[in-house]
Amino acid sequence: MLWKTNKNGNKEFLGGQESRHLAERAALECDMFVADDEDECVSDEPRSCYNCRYRRWTATAFECLKT
Amino acid sequence: MKILVCIDDTDNIDSRGTGELASMLAADIEDHGWGTCEPVTRHQMLVHPDIAYTSHNSAMCFGAEIDESRLGELTAHAREFLVRESASGSDPGLCIVPLDGLSETDDLITFGKKAKQVVIAKEEAYALAERIGVHLSEHGGTGIGVIGALAGTGLRLTGNDGRFRGHFKIETESDQVTPAEIMRQTHVEVVKSLDGDVLNENETIVLGKKVKSVLQDGKSTLLVYNDPEGDCWRTCTKQQLKVY
Repeated sequence: MLWKTNKNGNKEFLGGQESRHLAERAALECDMFVADDEDECVSDEPRSCYNCRYRRWTATAFECLKT
Repeated sequence: MKILVCIDDTDNIDSRGTGELASMLAADIEDHGWGTCEPVTRHQMLVHPDIAYTSHNSAMCFGAEIDESRLGELTAHAREFLVRESASGSDPGLCIVPLDGLSETDDLITFGKKAKQVVIAKEEAYALAERIGVHLSEHGGTGIGVIGALAGTGLRLTGNDGRFRGHFKIETESDQVTPAEIMRQTHVEVVKSLDGDVLNENETIVLGKKVKSVLQDGKSTLLVYNDPEGDCWRTCTKQQLKVY
C-alpha cells in the first residue's frame, strides 16, 4: 500500500521523502502525472511522484492533490 | 547600486512557477536598461501545516546592479508585474533590498534563517522591513508571500543557501569536461566536491543528466562527487542537491 488518507482528507504518500523507487512506481501507475517545473524536481527519474506538479510537500512526505 | 529582488507565492498548482516569473522580471529590468541582473536562486522555506503554501514553499531571489535613479521606476514596474502575472488564488509578495548602506544585514539574515525553522506571521515581516528600510509589498490574496519574499533576500545574503534556477547545457564532444570549461561556458565560479575540496581546473568531470549549481560562499558552485567505481568525479544528482 502506497497511500493513506490523512487528517485533511487528502491522499498522503506512505513512502516518506526518500523512497525513490516507490515514488517512481506510483507515478507509473498514475494517469494524472504532470512534471513540475524543473527547479522543483528532486528526483533524477523524471516520472516520479516526487517531481509531480500535483504533489504538495508535507513535513514528512507529500500529499497528492489529484485525489 | 546593488539591490536584491525576491518574490514568493505567485503561483497556483496549474500556473507558471515563481522561478519563471523571477527570470522574466530580471529580463525586464535589463530590457528597460535599468541595470544588469544576476542569476535567480531558489530558497526553501519551512514546510508546515500552518503555512498555506501551494506545493513547495520556496522563494526566488536575484541580485541586480542598477542605476540608483531608476529604483523607484523599477519598484513600480515590479509591483505592476506581480499584479499582472501572478496566478489567481496566489498570495504574492515582493521585496526589494538596496544593499548599499544597509546596516541591519544581520537582522535580515536572521529573519531568513528563522523562516526555514518556524512559522512567522506577516506582521513580523512588515515590522522588520519598515525598521530596516526595505521595500515589502503584497499583491493579492492573503499577501503571505511577503514572508518568503523578505526571508529569501536574507537567505541570499547569507551566500550559503539555495540552488540556482535552471540547469546548464554544456557543449562537449563527450560526457566529460574540465572545471575550466564549465566555468567558461556557464556562470559557475567554482567546482567543489561534496566535502568542500576545490577541484583543479584541469580535472575530469563526468556530466550527469541535469547539471545545476548551488550558492556557496557567495559563489555559483558546481558540486561533484567521487565515483569510486569509475574513479572519477561526477556532477551531483538532483537527489543529492535537494538539500540545498
